[in-house]
Amino acid sequence: MKRLMTGAAALALMAGAAQAGDLTLQLKWVTQAQFAGYYVALDQGFYEEEGVNLTILPGGPDIAPTQVLAGGGADVIVEWMPAALAAREKGLPLVNIAQPFKASGMMLTCLAETGITDPATDFAGKTLGVWFAGNEYPFLSWMNTLGLSTEGGEEGVTVLKQGFNVDPLLQKQAACISTMTYNEYWQVIDAGLTEDDLITFKYEDQGVATLEDGLYVLEGTLEDPEKVTDLVGFVRASMRGWQYAAENPEEAAEIVMENDETGAQTIEHQTRMMTEIAKLLEGSDGTLIEADYQRTVDILLAGGSDPVIEAAPEGAWVSTITDRAFD
Amino acid sequence: MSALPIIGVWLGGWAVNIWLSRFDTRASRTLVAVIFGATIIALWEMIVRIYAIPTVILPAPSQIAASFAANGSILWTDFVQTILKGALTGWLIGAGAAILTAIAIDRSPFLQRGLLPIGNFVAALPIVGIAPILVMWFGFDWQSKAAVVVVMVFFPILVNMVAGLRATDAMQRDLMASWAAPYGASLWKLRLPAAMPFLFNGLKITTTLALIGAIVAEFFGSPTRGMGFRISTAVGRLDLPLVWAEIVVAALAGTLFYGLVAALEKKVTFWHPSQRR
Repeated sequence: MKRLMTGAAALALMAGAAQAGDLTLQLKWVTQAQFAGYYVALDQGFYEEEGVNLTILPGGPDIAPTQVLAGGGADVIVEWMPAALAAREKGLPLVNIAQPFKASGMMLTCLAETGITDPATDFAGKTLGVWFAGNEYPFLSWMNTLGLSTEGGEEGVTVLKQGFNVDPLLQKQAACISTMTYNEYWQVIDAGLTEDDLITFKYEDQGVATLEDGLYVLEGTLEDPEKVTDLVGFVRASMRGWQYAAENPEEAAEIVMENDETGAQTIEHQTRMMTEIAKLLEGSDGTLIEADYQRTVDILLAGGSDPVIEAAPEGAWVSTITDRAFD
Repeated sequence: MSALPIIGVWLGGWAVNIWLSRFDTRASRTLVAVIFGATIIALWEMIVRIYAIPTVILPAPSQIAASFAANGSILWTDFVQTILKGALTGWLIGAGAAILTAIAIDRSPFLQRGLLPIGNFVAALPIVGIAPILVMWFGFDWQSKAAVVVVMVFFPILVNMVAGLRATDAMQRDLMASWAAPYGASLWKLRLPAAMPFLFNGLKITTTLALIGAIVAEFFGSPTRGMGFRISTAVGRLDLPLVWAEIVVAALAGTLFYGLVAALEKKVTFWHPSQRR
C-alpha cells in the first residue's frame, strides 16, 4: 500500500512534466488477454499513428485503479462500472469515456453436487466466494434482487472473501465461487473438474449484468482540450486494437505474453481467454450504449436496505470522446 | 505564504518542549511526549487542509477520528476477529510450542542438530507463500490466521529460549550437581529462571509479528470481518478514513500488547541487572 502511494505521488510529480500526447493507462488486473486490445494497439503502432505515447501499468490484487487515478498515477483506468459509480458517489469524479466491453463476463460457478439449480431458491444457507476491492458490488446487487441477506444464517448466504484463485471451490470450502468466463472458470477446468461437475450462473443470464472494463478519466481531464484530443486518439487506436485482437486471437495472445513481465501466463490460457473476451466485445464499437448504462444503474440502485449507490449518478459518462473518435 | 502557520506551529511546539526539558520531573517528561504527539497531529491536519490533499491519498486526523467514532461496532468486531482470535491464539500456541521445543532441544543433542535447522527453514518461508496454503488447510476463518501467526512467532521465541537455557555458567550448574539435583529440579530452579530475560525478549519481538501476520493473512481469503479484510476492501471502496481507523486500532492494540508483555517481564525478571532503576 505504502509503495503504491509513494509510486502514485512520484508519478503525479512526473505527470507535471508530461509531454503532449503522453497518456498513462492503469489496468484493472494483471497483464492478460482481458486487456489484449491495448497491448495489440501498442504493439502494432496504432497509438503512435494517433500521436499518443501510451504507458500501460498492469494492476494486481493490491491495486485499486480508482485510487491510482485519484492519486495522479494514471490518466485513464480500466474499471467496472459499479466500482466507478460507487467511487463517484464517494466524491471521486470518475467519467466513462468509452465502453469497449458490451457484455459482462462475470458468473458464479457452483459444484453440481451441492444440488444448486436455481439461485432464487437454492442459495440460502450456502457459502459463496466473492471478490472484494470493488468487485463485490455486482454480487451484492444480485443478492439484493434475490432478497438474500449476505450476513449468513439459514435464510441468507455466507460470504467468503475469495482470494484470487479457485481453491475454495476445489477444497469444497464454498458451494460457489466468483469466476470470469474468460479466466477463473478455465482454471477450475484445468484443475481437473469437468463441465458436468459444475453449474454456472452468468450475471448476463440472471438479468443482473453490469458494465465491465470501461475506460474512465477524472472530470478535470476533460476540461483540458489537449488531453481530450489525446484521449480521442487513444480510444480510436484502442478500438482498432480490440478489433485486431478479436480477429487474431492467437497473435493477440502472443503479444500479451511478450508484455507479461511476470512470466506467469501460459499461451494456451491466453489464447482461450482472448477467444472468450472476443464474445464480450461483440456489438460494441467502444461507444457506451445508454440502455446498458441505465440497466447497470438500475441494478445498483435496487439495493433494498444497502444499495451500492444511493442516487442515480449525474454526468457519469460522456459520449464526446467516442463521438469524435468514430465520426 | 501558506506554509507560515505550519512552520509556526512546528517551531512553537519545539520551543515549548525545549523550555520544558529544563525540568526533570515525571510530569514534565510526560508532557514533552504529549506535546510532541499533539504537534505531529496538528501539523498533519494543517498540511492536509492547507494543501487540499485528497482523502484517498491521506485523510485528515479529524476525518479518521470521525470514522473511528462512527464505526465503533465494526472496529470492535474486526478487533475481536483478528487480534483476540487470530493473533492472540496463534501467539500463545506458538510461544508454548517454542518453549517446549526449546526444552526438548536442550535435553537432547540429537534434536539440537535436527530441529534447529528445520526451525530456521520455517522461519525463512515468506508469509505470502504460506498464508494461501494455510487458508486451504485450516479454512477461511480465524483458525488459518492463528496458524500463520504460529509459524511466524515460533522461530524467534525458539532461538531466544534455546540461548536462554544455555545462559547459566558452569559454576552454577556444578553447584546444582553437587547437591545431586536431577535434571528436572535443575531446570526448574536454575535454568528456566535464568532463561526468562531471553524468553521475554523473544515474546516482545513477536507481539508485533503476531499482529502483522494475522492482518496480512486475511488478504488471502477471510470471512467478511477482520482488520485485514476491512483494510483491503475499504481501499477498494475508497473509504480511506476507515482504513486509517483500522490502522489506529492496530497501533493501539500493538502498543497495549507489547506493554502488557513488558510489564509481565518486569514482574518475572526483577532480579536481572537490566531491570535496575
